[in-house]
Amino acid sequence: MTLLGAPAQRDLGAAAPRPVPGPAVVTVRDLSVAYGEDTVLTGVDLDLFGGEVVALLGASGSGKSSLMKSLTGFAPITGGSAVVDGHELRGARPRELRTVRAGVGQIFQQFNLIPRLSVLTNVLAGCLHRTGPASALGHFPAHERRRALELLDRVGIAHKANEPARSLSGGQQQRVAIARALMQQPRVILADEPVASLDPRLADSVLALLRDIAVSDGIPVLVSLHVVDLALVHSDRIVGLRDGRALLSGRAGELGSATLHELYADEEDPDVDDL
Amino acid sequence: MSTTSETRTAAPQARKPQLDPLERARLERSIVWPRTRTLASLPILLGVLWWSSAGAEFDPFALGSGAVNIVDYLSRLWPPDFSEFGTIVRLLVETLQMAIIGTLLGSVLSLLMAFAASATIAPPWVYYPARWTMNVIRSVPELVFALMFVSAVGLGPFAGILAMTLGSIGSIGKVYAEAMESVDQGPVTAMRSVGASPRQVVQFAVLPQAAPLLVSYTLLLFEGNVRGATILGLVGAGGIGLELTTAMRMYDYGHLGAIVLSIIVVVTVIDQCSALIRKRLT
Ligand SMILES: Nc1ncnc2c1ncn2[C@@H]1O[C@H](COP(=O)(O)OP(=O)(O)OP(=O)(O)O)[C@@H](O)[C@H]1O
Ligand SMILES: [Mg+2]
Repeated sequence: MTLLGAPAQRDLGAAAPRPVPGPAVVTVRDLSVAYGEDTVLTGVDLDLFGGEVVALLGASGSGKSSLMKSLTGFAPITGGSAVVDGHELRGARPRELRTVRAGVGQIFQQFNLIPRLSVLTNVLAGCLHRTGPASALGHFPAHERRRALELLDRVGIAHKANEPARSLSGGQQQRVAIARALMQQPRVILADEPVASLDPRLADSVLALLRDIAVSDGIPVLVSLHVVDLALVHSDRIVGLRDGRALLSGRAGELGSATLHELYADEEDPDVDDL
Repeated sequence: MSTTSETRTAAPQARKPQLDPLERARLERSIVWPRTRTLASLPILLGVLWWSSAGAEFDPFALGSGAVNIVDYLSRLWPPDFSEFGTIVRLLVETLQMAIIGTLLGSVLSLLMAFAASATIAPPWVYYPARWTMNVIRSVPELVFALMFVSAVGLGPFAGILAMTLGSIGSIGKVYAEAMESVDQGPVTAMRSVGASPRQVVQFAVLPQAAPLLVSYTLLLFEGNVRGATILGLVGAGGIGLELTTAMRMYDYGHLGAIVLSIIVVVTVIDQCSALIRKRLT
């Protein structure tokens, strides 16, 4: 197991798999996140560089979602710093938060599409931050509509553009959600268990799509997963969380699957005991 | 977390939560007896019923002996006298018009009020005053508003419409607000995540999800307003109610019967139509 203190991990972050020009898009240093008295993350360091897929692994409750939420101001940062695309999130004001969120494409386990609106409108919602007051009348400019349709082509469901989002299958809905995230023209994509409600084949195809986006758009994708093997196949780098700390970090090829399974080892969770 | 090592050592005893054996036995029986808690509440329920019926002078025997009078009264309404059918139709149309305008104004104002009264949309300093305002409005009978507006703008349908509008803010504003609070928060989070403004979050995540419920409640409001408009006429606030009161005062039973029958027909037709539409929506 690669047990790392903060400085060592920073080095690993810098040694990203592909030689990418430019600085990290996301820089997290000694981050603490707490809900009231309940500290759920401590001393977390993380760098995300354009073009790489970083898998976030860890048992349930280890803080994967909290880490992602802290990067968009949905979880309270109580210590350290988190800089996303040049904006410090610790103590950010609502207006600045909205700017940060606009630049971060988020993908959720439950897709979170608006069920009754059309697939196209759902994708268009991704550009709300840059539409003027005209969006109040449900009006989107033609070039945005064209862009949304191109993105639907890219994720392979343009033929459903007119149907209500709720009529799509899970895999299709997640593709729409990805198109919506891309519509934001994001500087980074955060995907929190994007494939947890999909069957293995769809899971593979969605993760392959995310990787394709990372490479061709040159943006970092941080994806939390529950399946170690998916992380090994689909990510360049793996960060392992345990009890709110970053326990290990390294290239997917270098961390043996036995090492990774240690993240989940032993007694912490009574629910999975003695089964 | 720093508490890790303690949790580890403490864990073995606290594992495997068990279902209480007694509770398990109770759940396994095919006929599940009510808990003692439920049984104990029965006498309380009966007590409250007895107390209420005493206070409300609820007297089945008086109703029994009075039934003869009721039948007598109703029989005088028959046969209805439709000689003034033209007036009835004109007034029914006026009643409908009042209901339509009242519903339109009422639903728009109620929606605005509902934004302010949704815990998930408005900040607390807006939310609480909005809820209080609605509570105050709701606790005043619409007839009182009607009297108030009659003295303000004079006799006629306009006073009725104003009363209806104000009244609906109290009733329908509350259910609108609750419909908007109960939408799935997933899409709301998603919209906040793309950097949408609060107005855009409401427009793209809350309203589309709440829309079927909102429309359904609006139809209910319309039904209620049609019935309400007939009552408002009693205090001179327009509609067919005024004609109804006059007929009653003049002991013009044939005319009265015709009016009541016409109202029943119109209200039934409207209720059926709106029930049909509501069924389609859900
Ligand atoms: N809104 C919140 N308020 C209070 N505590 C929270 C909140 N969200 C998460 N927590 C706590 O933070 C800890 C980490 O939760 P988090 O959701 O980040 O874990 P996770 O790694 O995403 O788990 P999972 O794999 O089950 O999604 C948990 O102990 C959880 O109870
Ligand atoms: Mg989670």
